[in-house]
Amino acid sequence: MKSKKLTSASDLKNLDFSRQRRKLLKLSPVLFLAGCDLAPSGKTESFLRKFQQFNDWVQSKVFDINKLSPEYADSKLTLEDGFRLNSYETDEPEVDLEGWRLTVEGLVSKPGEYSLEQIAALPKRVMNTRHVCVEGWSMVVKWGGTPLHEFLKHVGADTDAKFVAVESADDYYTSYDMPSALHPQTLLCYEAYGKSLTLGHGAPLRITMPTKLGYKSAKWIDKLVVTNDKWGGYWEDQGYDWFAGI
Amino acid sequence: MKTPARKEYHHPPLIRLTHWVNALALLIMITSGLRIYNASPLFGFTFPDAITFGGWLAGARMWHFFGMWLFAVNGVVYVLYNILSKHGRRTTLFRKSDVPGVFPMILYYLRIRKEHPPQQKYNALQKLAYTIVPVLALGGIMSGISIYWPVQFSGIASLFGGYDTARVWHFIFMSALALFFAGHLLMVAIAGWDNFLSMITGWRRFPPSAKPRSEKNV
Repeated sequence: MKSKKLTSASDLKNLDFSRQRRKLLKLSPVLFLAGCDLAPSGKTESFLRKFQQFNDWVQSKVFDINKLSPEYADSKLTLEDGFRLNSYETDEPEVDLEGWRLTVEGLVSKPGEYSLEQIAALPKRVMNTRHVCVEGWSMVVKWGGTPLHEFLKHVGADTDAKFVAVESADDYYTSYDMPSALHPQTLLCYEAYGKSLTLGHGAPLRITMPTKLGYKSAKWIDKLVVTNDKWGGYWEDQGYDWFAGI
Repeated sequence: MKTPARKEYHHPPLIRLTHWVNALALLIMITSGLRIYNASPLFGFTFPDAITFGGWLAGARMWHFFGMWLFAVNGVVYVLYNILSKHGRRTTLFRKSDVPGVFPMILYYLRIRKEHPPQQKYNALQKLAYTIVPVLALGGIMSGISIYWPVQFSGIASLFGGYDTARVWHFIFMSALALFFAGHLLMVAIAGWDNFLSMITGWRRFPPSAKPRSEKNV
């Protein structure tokens, strides 16, 4: 969050508010862990976190931008009633679907607010790919949306920048290495199973990234930033691996 | 007249080192793995928190992905040593010439045969077990890669029937290794203190009365 550019006093206020909320949200795993001594802490945790960064580095080396997540026939799709919801706070945050815009900031030549119509006017990709949750379960979903690399090109993003970060209406946030952001199957997704996303699945716009674990596929995104600064992520800052490649 | 206690050099330093590193790595991998399993149980049961490690899913993942390097690198060193050194080929690797020794050992363990069949450092069944275990470990590693990198190594994942089935295979290999671990501990307990010490000091001490080469080493 260090890199956030503030434009007005009200922005500052909002930021403060969202920070406080985030702090509170971050306590939930701590509360959940109360009384459990085996969670890494102190020197052990800092060692394991460093080791995790080593694994992130290995992951970034193993990642191949030309390697596609396997795409499946329609007959292999997880049935729609098995299309699981997994959110960290709420399944249905307050999203103003009518007035929704994607705010684009950072190292782009055309920053600003983009409507869903503008995004959907770009080339579309539909793919049946496996969504793998960090918990272990997986499902094959028919996703549809604009490849992120098309949108980044559209807004004149500096693709030599290191990261792309997103923020969500429910205060969720995460960030990606640029190669993963440019992967052909990384979508600004507005459809599932051929229909507009439901609110529970991230309407109006979410990230779908079948080359990474599910917590990288942020729902309800309303801001996208191209940056060289580390943004981390909601779960990543608490101990989950940042690269999260699969 | 008393004969002095006899000593034999059994375990070279590299074997002792890799043995204990492996014990630690396997313990980390199984206990943190059970915690990861609990986040989304494959079967209709979960494991009690007391036998899991890592505290929560992210902690268990940190341990698991640290332990995997320890387990794999140490395992490669151990296997290479056993294949490349005379020591390993002679004492531990199961070979064709060990096949006739398998059945008599089974009879002995079943208490049908009273006399312990003659053996070198390890009997035929032990050699079989010590040769199969690295194969199981390799299965654990390969199925693990299939779950960790089902996209980057989709070819390996498809060998295990894809991501979801690879999770089941990973569980099966873990169970087999855990079973070996338990059996091994039992045999160590039966074989006694001198045998246990030999994996620390390298030297196996035999009481003066013992007949050469008829003793059990584990």
